[in-house]
Amino acid sequence: MVDWGIIANLLGGAVTTLWISSVSIAVGAPLGLMLAMTRVWRVPVLSQAVAVFVSIIRATPVITLALFVFFGIPAMGLTLSPTVAALITLSVNTSAFHAEIWRASIMDFPQNQSEAASAFGMTRLQAFRLIVLPQAWRASLPPMVNEMTFLIKSSPAIAVIGVVDLTRTASRIAAYTYDPLPPYISAAIIYAVVVFSLVRAQRVIERMIVRRYGVL
Amino acid sequence: MIDHFVRALTQWPLFLDGFFNTVWLCVFTAVVSLFLAMLLVVPLMSRLLPVRATARLVVDSVRSVPFLLLAYMAYYCLPAIGISLSSWAAALITLIVYNTAYFAEILRGAWSHLPPQQEEGGRAFGFTGIKLFVHIIGPQLFIAAGPVLGNQLIQVIKDSAFLMVITIPELTFRVNQVQSILFVPFETFIIAGCLYWVLCNSVEWMVRRLDQMAELRRAR
Amino acid sequence: MPDDKKNGTPVLQVRNLVKSFGDLRVLDNVSVTVDAGETVCVVGPSGSGKSTLLRCINLLEWPDSGEIILRGERIGFRKNNRSREVRMNDSEMAHIRTRVGMVFQQFNLWPHLTAFGNVTVSPIHVLKRPKQEVEAEADALLEKVGLEDKRDEYPIRLSGGQQQRVAIARALAMHPDVLLFDEPTSSLDPELVGEVLAVMKGLADEGRTMVVVTHEMGFAREAAGHVVFMDGGKVIETGSPEEFFSNPKTGRAQQFLERYR
Repeated sequence: MVDWGIIANLLGGAVTTLWISSVSIAVGAPLGLMLAMTRVWRVPVLSQAVAVFVSIIRATPVITLALFVFFGIPAMGLTLSPTVAALITLSVNTSAFHAEIWRASIMDFPQNQSEAASAFGMTRLQAFRLIVLPQAWRASLPPMVNEMTFLIKSSPAIAVIGVVDLTRTASRIAAYTYDPLPPYISAAIIYAVVVFSLVRAQRVIERMIVRRYGVL
Repeated sequence: MIDHFVRALTQWPLFLDGFFNTVWLCVFTAVVSLFLAMLLVVPLMSRLLPVRATARLVVDSVRSVPFLLLAYMAYYCLPAIGISLSSWAAALITLIVYNTAYFAEILRGAWSHLPPQQEEGGRAFGFTGIKLFVHIIGPQLFIAAGPVLGNQLIQVIKDSAFLMVITIPELTFRVNQVQSILFVPFETFIIAGCLYWVLCNSVEWMVRRLDQMAELRRAR
Repeated sequence: MPDDKKNGTPVLQVRNLVKSFGDLRVLDNVSVTVDAGETVCVVGPSGSGKSTLLRCINLLEWPDSGEIILRGERIGFRKNNRSREVRMNDSEMAHIRTRVGMVFQQFNLWPHLTAFGNVTVSPIHVLKRPKQEVEAEADALLEKVGLEDKRDEYPIRLSGGQQQRVAIARALAMHPDVLLFDEPTSSLDPELVGEVLAVMKGLADEGRTMVVVTHEMGFAREAAGHVVFMDGGKVIETGSPEEFFSNPKTGRAQQFLERYR
């Protein structure tokens, strides 16, 4: 006997998880790129600040960060809803990891290509825009998709600050039906499907890139 | 701000309690999970398809579910099927099951990249079965996978924070407790951030030292 | 065709170039002159400074002292408003590099761009030439080097010889005053060398101004206007290919050529 009401609820929670995760990645990835660039270009003062910031965020559990954002920011006078707090938490968290991913592909960039770019009269900025970045983002795609799976797996942290995501929906259903097995197991299956798809997508992307460009 | 910090720091016994709970939870998990992972990696690398496929399915399933959800399942679902557990037991079971899967996958990756000469050399000298693993393959796996295992240990530390939701008094739980009593959330969580930073970077430093020592051996 | 033959001023003059890396003096008072339409081949044992010479000409390396004069202007330096010589800034140097074409030993094609993309990217974005004009010329250049059917292939799918020919088309598309070749065939499998040398010979016959660092003595014999022999960072001997190959004047040149008999 499938209770379609429960399934509908869970899917609603899943949608919340997915849209919040997607927005966080959409914000976090470019933000991570900017952080990486301040370090690559050795911007004085800023690059050290970014290094410290990235180091701290990468060492902080997502749930701890969520609580910090949710309780700490209002303490400074600004009010924020759980959803906004969730978006800030996940975006900031993922940006720190993306910063390292970008930095790795940009710092590792083969010197002979940069030389060729220089020899053809490109300024540093032109070389970055035309030669380095197009390759760096393609090379970063597999680790970025990998980071997306981590983001989805740590997203239940937002349930703790009140966002009705998939996990919180499952908890609610378990609470009012006194039957924890169906909602939790269903939620686990939904998460598994999403993560499996992402992992599959990552492998496909990686293979496509290698086939078309070789190892970037 | 400073006075808030001072107020927060007056609760240092709670912070210390949380910190130590986190540390021993993670150490215990690491030891037990690594051991179990060594057992799990054998079916994972088995030449028999049904064995390998089953192990593969178990590992992939555990790795694709969020840790927090798994914790809830241990805490709420197991009692529902008759296994009643304390919150500590549920926490440890979750941590151990979850990380055994991750460690097993890491060791499997290292094993599949191990040059076959290693195993052949071991067999040539008469090592088989468990002895082969303990003396020849195992040490190689740990040396090769050191940094990745270290990374996973850092992940264990970070995942342990989720356990606050099933009322385990680890660091984040205690910090949250303090901030709700004293209303100094900003400062308390900064202290928490620093403590986690110290923990994670200690692990990273240790892993780097071990890797350097391993390098010296490899270079010879 | 950019070259005005024999109007007197050499296209490229290198005077008294000195360059050291730490204690090692890689270029020791090197001087070379390249006339319009001429192909100069630089030969010599490994480590004689030949590559460094090329890299100084297009400012990939900065010489310790000496002058490099391209069409009468000293490159790397300009006169400031007080008529003092001041080092060029990055964008001025970038501009100079567009006038000096370079073909690298390792081809150095950009892997995320097709052959066509590699040829067109710099003229469009650096020289800011109109897109249609650049694209039409790119097709013509790829045809010239025999690769019009590889236009939409990525470098990973091209053989070494094909990649190098694309690299040549890429350099030509910039309409440079002089083309530099840094051991263009040294990284190629032997059976692929010929196709690249054929293209280079064609360019030499057309009257392009070229400086070629090479170990391919056959090419030097046939295509060079004059040959420069370097050893230990110094120019030991120069001369026409006939003179150099049949009658080397210095002992070291004779020793070097022994290997190629």
